Amino acid sequence: MTGLARLTADQERDLVVAAESGDLDACRRLVDAFIPSIAALARRFPDGIGVQRQELLQEGVAGLLFAARRYDPGLGTPFWAYASYWVRKAMQDLVAELTMPIALSDRAVRGLSSIRAARDDHLRRHGTEPTIDELARATGLDRDQVARLLAAARAPRSVEEPGGENRDGAIAEHVRDAHAEQAFERVLDDIEVREVRDLTERLAEREQAVLRAHYGLGTPAQTLQQIGEALGLSAERARQIESGALGKLRSALARPAPRPGTT
Amino acid sequence: MSTDITALQHQALVYDSLDEYVVRAAAFLREGLEHGDGAVVAHTRAGIAVMREALGADADAVRFVDVGEAYTRPAHTLAAYHDVYADQLHRTPSLRAVADVQFGPDPGEWDLWTAYEAVFNESFAHLPARVLCTYDGSRLPERILDAVWRTHPTVLTEDGARTSDCYEEPDQVLRRIATPSAPLPQLRSIGFGRDAEEFRERLAREMNLAGTPAGRSLDMLLAATEVAANAVTHGGGIRDVRAGSAGGRFACEIVDAGPGFDDPLAGYLAPRAGSGSGLWIARQLTWSLEFFHGPRGFTAQILL
Repeated sequence: MTGLARLTADQERDLVVAAESGDLDACRRLVDAFIPSIAALARRFPDGIGVQRQELLQEGVAGLLFAARRYDPGLGTPFWAYASYWVRKAMQDLVAELTMPIALSDRAVRGLSSIRAARDDHLRRHGTEPTIDELARATGLDRDQVARLLAAARAPRSVEEPGGENRDGAIAEHVRDAHAEQAFERVLDDIEVREVRDLTERLAEREQAVLRAHYGLGTPAQTLQQIGEALGLSAERARQIESGALGKLRSALARPAPRPGTT
Repeated sequence: MSTDITALQHQALVYDSLDEYVVRAAAFLREGLEHGDGAVVAHTRAGIAVMREALGADADAVRFVDVGEAYTRPAHTLAAYHDVYADQLHRTPSLRAVADVQFGPDPGEWDLWTAYEAVFNESFAHLPARVLCTYDGSRLPERILDAVWRTHPTVLTEDGARTSDCYEEPDQVLRRIATPSAPLPQLRSIGFGRDAEEFRERLAREMNLAGTPAGRSLDMLLAATEVAANAVTHGGGIRDVRAGSAGGRFACEIVDAGPGFDDPLAGYLAPRAGSGSGLWIARQLTWSLEFFHGPRGFTAQILL
């Protein structure tokens, strides 16, 4: 499936590439298009595992944007087929992270071992993945314990309940969701703060102004003469400021690690 | 006193369970910490939480890296690690790192990350670091696990460290999986101009016409400046520059007048004394950088 059925493959590709390039509007449109699918994946995680639905959605959105930063359209894989892996993984990692300490005890390891044995037995007998209730009955653990242990062990598929009202994924993926909308806004706000790559932020204000004006970065391009006049400088001085700024960025990007014995 | 190491040791561990990962990775890091090494752990946030728990008070001395931020493109990942390692080596004379490589769901990109593992051997060859790459043997496909032995000189097994007898030189790995590049027909000639400044002005004009975000335009200007400088210094001058949008990305091709070079590792070596860093900069700022012999001459193709 695609969350962008109304777009052509080229349009979808352009949107993903623009999102990867740091275009925030593209990020918003991409998330907007796929939020129903993200919400559908989030609904596959059962209640009672110690992770709020809102948190799952936020992780899912972050997973989608990570996928956009990594996705290579040249490989020919449809975007959602690729991104859904990272969305699901982000949610699984969150569940594992928030429920992790229990997995480290000896008791938890023994519990997991019995769950795995029960799962294998169920698969042998029925040829299908057991539900959490079935695993709870088979192991004598309560339902919540089973869910937490599975999450902690990153055994995700059996955690993702296909049952109940979300059994029909095709329908669930297109249901709008108020929680999802909030998650979308929150994650994008966060990204706006920390992920937009703009090297000029490493420069002094005057250096930024010269570079942006000279090359028309978010502002009409000007000659060094015009820039100098606006700043009360000569064109040559403006050129020196630009050259210094480029050198500063270069040094920052090519800073070598100290050699052994020099620290 | 730190462990006696003067160059990179790149090792791998294939683990069967999270418990095994935790036990062995924590032991590896603790041994270093006891000897004054710095320590780095790169994993998912969940994996980091497990390691924090297992390391207890020792976790305070460990630098944690969220792989969800770092593993986007191999060159970007190398740059992210380089920043972390350089920072750490300002504090300690040597370091140990445990890193869980993120291969992703698409078999088409597995070669890319296998190449990354191969390149890692050369990128950080000069650093006093023991890096243990960890692979989840219960989840990763056979093809990826096979490649572990080709890209790591040493693999930790239940019986201890084993020298790989099928390790391949990084340039061999890269050559085998390389896909041929060709000039992009969508681009148009914009020429180089009088000097680097005019070259940047021309390129910026094209990016503005293409609607490239301002922050990313600067990335391309810096990257292209480095590639062009390389062509002028080593390529006998610039014959042509072509630019425009292709496949949804802004692209720039710089054709030089020289015989070209054949080095698949170009731009992947982390900055070090006696080695230029221009192509390293260009790779970390862009989506891809390829070199090939085109009909008009040796060509550097940069995709933003």
